Amino acid sequence: MLKAILKEAWISITSYKLRTFLTMLGILIGVAAVVMMVSAGQAVQLHITKSFSSMGSNRIFISPAELVTGGVRGARGLPSVTVDDVKALKELKGVKAASYEGRTAVQVVYGSNNYGTSVYGTNPDILEVNNSEIEDGVMFTQKDVKSARPYAVIGQTMVNELFGLQNPIGKTIRLKGQPFKVIGTVKEQGDGLFGNDMDNFIYIPYTTLRQRLAGSDRPQYVNMAYVVAKSEQEIDAVSKRIEYLLRARHRLKEGEKNDFQIRPMTDFINKVRNVGFVLSMLLAVIASISLIVGSIGIMNMMLVSVTERTREIGTRKALGAPNNWIMTQFLAESILISFIGSFIGMILGIIISQLAGTILGYEVPISIWAVVVSVSVAIIVGIVSGLMPALKAMRLNPIDALRYQ
Amino acid sequence: MRKTPVIEVKNLYKTYFMEGGNSQLVLKNINFKINEGEFVAIMGPSGSGKSTLMNILGCLDKPTKGSYVLDGYDIENKNDIELAKIRGQKIGFVFQNFNLMMKRTIADNVSLPLVYQNIKEKERYKRALQMLKKVGLLGYQKRPPSQISGGMQQRVAIARALVNNPSIIFADEPTGNLDSKTSDEIMELFTELNKQGITIVLVTHEDDVANYATRMIKISDGCKVYDGLRKDYSKEKETKC
Repeated sequence: MLKAILKEAWISITSYKLRTFLTMLGILIGVAAVVMMVSAGQAVQLHITKSFSSMGSNRIFISPAELVTGGVRGARGLPSVTVDDVKALKELKGVKAASYEGRTAVQVVYGSNNYGTSVYGTNPDILEVNNSEIEDGVMFTQKDVKSARPYAVIGQTMVNELFGLQNPIGKTIRLKGQPFKVIGTVKEQGDGLFGNDMDNFIYIPYTTLRQRLAGSDRPQYVNMAYVVAKSEQEIDAVSKRIEYLLRARHRLKEGEKNDFQIRPMTDFINKVRNVGFVLSMLLAVIASISLIVGSIGIMNMMLVSVTERTREIGTRKALGAPNNWIMTQFLAESILISFIGSFIGMILGIIISQLAGTILGYEVPISIWAVVVSVSVAIIVGIVSGLMPALKAMRLNPIDALRYQ
Repeated sequence: MRKTPVIEVKNLYKTYFMEGGNSQLVLKNINFKINEGEFVAIMGPSGSGKSTLMNILGCLDKPTKGSYVLDGYDIENKNDIELAKIRGQKIGFVFQNFNLMMKRTIADNVSLPLVYQNIKEKERYKRALQMLKKVGLLGYQKRPPSQISGGMQQRVAIARALVNNPSIIFADEPTGNLDSKTSDEIMELFTELNKQGITIVLVTHEDDVANYATRMIKISDGCKVYDGLRKDYSKEKETKC
């Protein structure tokens, strides 16, 4: 019986192709919009998460504590972590590498070429922290840091801008007039999260930076320290140990606030994931408004259809159609319309979001749940918006219906 | 041949209850039997109650009082689903304005009543062709009704009425929308079908059309005022309401 009803419903909706298509359009656009919006949100989420992960998800940032005055969050406090603190951190259990940086902006000069860049005074562990490797030459050593040697390890942008096709190893560059010997280059890292050039930098020993380029009255204090845990699972335990050690080293009494701030990379990633999720949800909610509009369209069309086909309904009843058959047929018509509409909308949504992803150069995930949710919502919409017209058709008195002009 | 009643109406009353508590008695104490193989014309002026009677006989409406037995089924205690089943299996309808589905093929139209009896599509098509042959329209099955004339459309409707092999055919002003020549053709088709043993009940207000029937029941002001052979009818023989 169901097969026969479905066939009748199918013939009915295909008899008025244009009208059916226009009705379908509402739900089609609605589902396509939901799928596209959720995909867009997820693409953003994925992109950001990936960018963070590529920087290493087992990193921990240690920065000066934020100053809180009267409940107002203020600027960063004075640097509180020292080079010796970082050395001690490196000895902690579960720590793979520990680094720190002092930074200054310079115009680097080689022969007749010059280029603006950031110079980082740091230690050899910075490579581990930034998930990068030496391409050519070597990294400076802890010994070089100790004796403040004028060595430089440069990023690929530096290589290209200053040296072109020449081999930079052994060449001398000038930073603020001071000669530095290039002893190594770092492998290309590509663009960063915000489109920033991740290869535009020069690493020099921290001590050299403080002595030659950017002096400080408290040279032992660093703006930022980094610790790399041996694995992502250990990140919480390592964070605890860092806090314990730093509090001891800074002689903080019980109840006294930390003068530093520990933030694991996973915190950032989770925050970004949450933002992405909320974004996806918001977009989906906005897009689902069009689903509601679409469903009103279906209800409208089905109501018109029942009125228009009053005589047909009367005839069918006279010819032996039971009431539940009439109701099921009209319900089946609206479900078919919304199902087909949502199916095409789903495919369209996937195609368009993939196409947009390809054109814009982003990886766009196909969200299974967005597809499942929007298609099932569409079917529910079909049932709900078809119910009232179907009941109306069912309740028609056959005599009145047959007389209807 | 032993005649068995297909229709048995006893003390039938129909009252319409209107909004505001008013009611109108449309049919008063109607009694008659129609036997298998009869060709009956129900006549009467408009407003006489003949359409109401037709609706009750066709199981589209229920009497307020009295009994109606169709082919052994007492209609009184039947619910909507059972009535639909009886309509689908026992009754064939022919309407004044044909009531065909214009977007469907003629074969689809003819076989529509069989859909509600869960008969397989192949079988439905086969039976539709048999019926089209009976009404002289074999070869038109693939076309939509809009491509054929009014008279032919009514033939399609007659084929549809016959397809479920009903006990009785109700025709409500079947020639009302046709010219006189086509009307004659349709009535001759009914006569032919009646000769094959099919019971036909015809509602009409036209004397020419009624002449094809053998028996006549006249309704006036809700009462049966004449019931007898068509050829014997004269105004004087009517009883008082």
